[in-house]
Amino acid sequence: MSSKTPLFVGGGALGALVAFTSIFVASEVGAAKNRLAHPELAATAAPVAAIADHAEAPYCTPQFKQVLQRVLNACGLVGSESRRGCQPADVKTFASIDDNDFNALFTPLKDRGGIVLFDEAKDALDEPAKKLVRDLWEDRRGARYFFIVARASKTGTVENNRALSHKRANSVQFFLQEETKDPDLDKQVGMLWLGKEFAQLSKDTCEGWKTSRPGKNCTEEAVNRSAFASWVDCRL
Amino acid sequence: MVDTATKTAGNAQRAGLFGTVASVLGLFFSGFSVHDYTAHLDRQLHGAHCSFIPGLTGVEAGANACTAAMYSPWSALFRGSYWGGIPIALFAFGSYAFFLAFSLYLLLAKGESSRPARLGFAAATAFPLVATVAMFTISLTQLGAFCKLCVGMYVSSVLLGIGGFFAFSAWREAGTTTAGKRAPGGTLIESRPQQFGGPDDNVATARDGAPATGTGGNPFPIVLASLVVLGIAAVLPAGVYAASLPDYRPYLGGCGKLVEKEEKHKALLVMPTTAGKRAATFFEDPLCPTCKGFHERLVSDGIYDRLTVQSSMFPLDSDCNWMIDRSLHPGACVLAKAIICGDKSSKARQVLEWAYDEQEDLTNLGKTNKDALRAKIKGRFPDIDSCIDSKETKQRLDQMLQFAVTNKIAVSTPQFFLGDSRVCDEDTDLGLKYTLTQIAPEVVP
Repeated sequence: MSSKTPLFVGGGALGALVAFTSIFVASEVGAAKNRLAHPELAATAAPVAAIADHAEAPYCTPQFKQVLQRVLNACGLVGSESRRGCQPADVKTFASIDDNDFNALFTPLKDRGGIVLFDEAKDALDEPAKKLVRDLWEDRRGARYFFIVARASKTGTVENNRALSHKRANSVQFFLQEETKDPDLDKQVGMLWLGKEFAQLSKDTCEGWKTSRPGKNCTEEAVNRSAFASWVDCRL
Repeated sequence: MVDTATKTAGNAQRAGLFGTVASVLGLFFSGFSVHDYTAHLDRQLHGAHCSFIPGLTGVEAGANACTAAMYSPWSALFRGSYWGGIPIALFAFGSYAFFLAFSLYLLLAKGESSRPARLGFAAATAFPLVATVAMFTISLTQLGAFCKLCVGMYVSSVLLGIGGFFAFSAWREAGTTTAGKRAPGGTLIESRPQQFGGPDDNVATARDGAPATGTGGNPFPIVLASLVVLGIAAVLPAGVYAASLPDYRPYLGGCGKLVEKEEKHKALLVMPTTAGKRAATFFEDPLCPTCKGFHERLVSDGIYDRLTVQSSMFPLDSDCNWMIDRSLHPGACVLAKAIICGDKSSKARQVLEWAYDEQEDLTNLGKTNKDALRAKIKGRFPDIDSCIDSKETKQRLDQMLQFAVTNKIAVSTPQFFLGDSRVCDEDTDLGLKYTLTQIAPEVVP
């Protein structure tokens, strides 16, 4: 081997290696640039994360959602701002289900909601009623809608009871407005008043439901002088 | 004298051998490191070859010591000017190419290699050694972990250093045999020119066959030339890299906006910072490793304290977060509540940073023993314990989660909004400093 051979080999290797490193880097950056311009070429696509949304509880059956959707459309939560709430005739029309089936829809809300009880022919909330409404409201979790379903007792005229149940629903709504001062309350609270005409509660409702007057004598008459209130954990 | 000459030749050859092995190893490890870093330039998720035998084992996805090193501020230069910066590994890559060529010369020349070239090689090996000591210290003191590819490069540099030592020995020993090259009678008989690639000058002998001694010529031009060539070889790949980088400006932004910048119940946490110049909103989970890394990156880069920070807890724990059906970070709800409680005494940031510091331990407790997790929080922050279970705290956390719903953010953490514009996830690690330099230069120190 000539004495110059190592020098030539070293020099040649230096040139080749420097060229190699430069070409390697240019090629790697070029490949990344190509993937950047064409993300579909990337070997591993980034996982797509879900979008934050309201809660969806198991009781949100298609039938429940259908009623919910109709309530929202018909009772002023979605679309028209001109009206607030639904009266019995509306409910009968849009729900298209009988009383028992209507009430059955709300049965799964037993652990979520509560029943505010009123004195006969009255619509004022007593202190326990206010506390119950406050507690229910504060326990929102991931729910989107808050429902108030007011009723009146079987005594008296249809018109009077319709008006009374409307006032009871409003009492809860006004109390929430006062308590929360939330400007978006109207977008969250759905009101239905049923008078004595639709979906009256049975005495069984006294069992297992949270009421504002626990331990008091609960009759069928008493439980229908009420406003059912609950967050509803459904997405539409 | 023949023994000394043999020893000198042997040292020169050992220098070549160590240098060749070290350089091949160094090229191998730094090449994988460059490949892993460069792969991220497409703004997609990639794993890393975090192994002592990269290429023979699979790519390691998720957080590991190599990604920690990659995302750290010490892995690249000029991060504000180039998306991702210029990775340090590129300089190593170019350097090892230089050393491989130089080592091959020393190896093939055997004892005939130029004496100044040996000194040049020895001097050049000091640079990777110094870099290794610096990076090793950073890994030990700042990262608390050693990336295997980095360790491969450290070992390569140490082997190169050993090669450099042999080269230096060969240079010094040759000096003792060539100085002056005078015959016993004092007559100057021979002085060979010192040249890179010339024959070994320690083979000089007196015309009468007697051993020669002397100082030889000035080696520094060759040493200087070696260092210059090393510099060129080291910088060239970085230059090619910088010149080839795509223009990232069109990709910045466009990842969403906050519909509502303020939470109407004032539920979000205000994190104290020293010099807030720009409003920022974070969605974070105290047990999310990426959140921890991101937070620490912002703090260590001095960016966090230049933000006016509001933070919305977003624990990926189904105990409180209805948006997920399976807890990714069990225990995160309790910690999120602890941070919310800390806000009452202006300690929210302190509690959050404690949770990040203790994240590994807290994560394990969250999975195995929630009572112990709670006790650990109480042990560190006894004053907030009773607040954690309060209705008010739960409600505030619900409001934060509802804030995420209102803004339709992705169920993912961390998320970082500057003003109302979301900084893309792809720009929150390697490209963070570049992105902020482009869209919010006032927060970059």
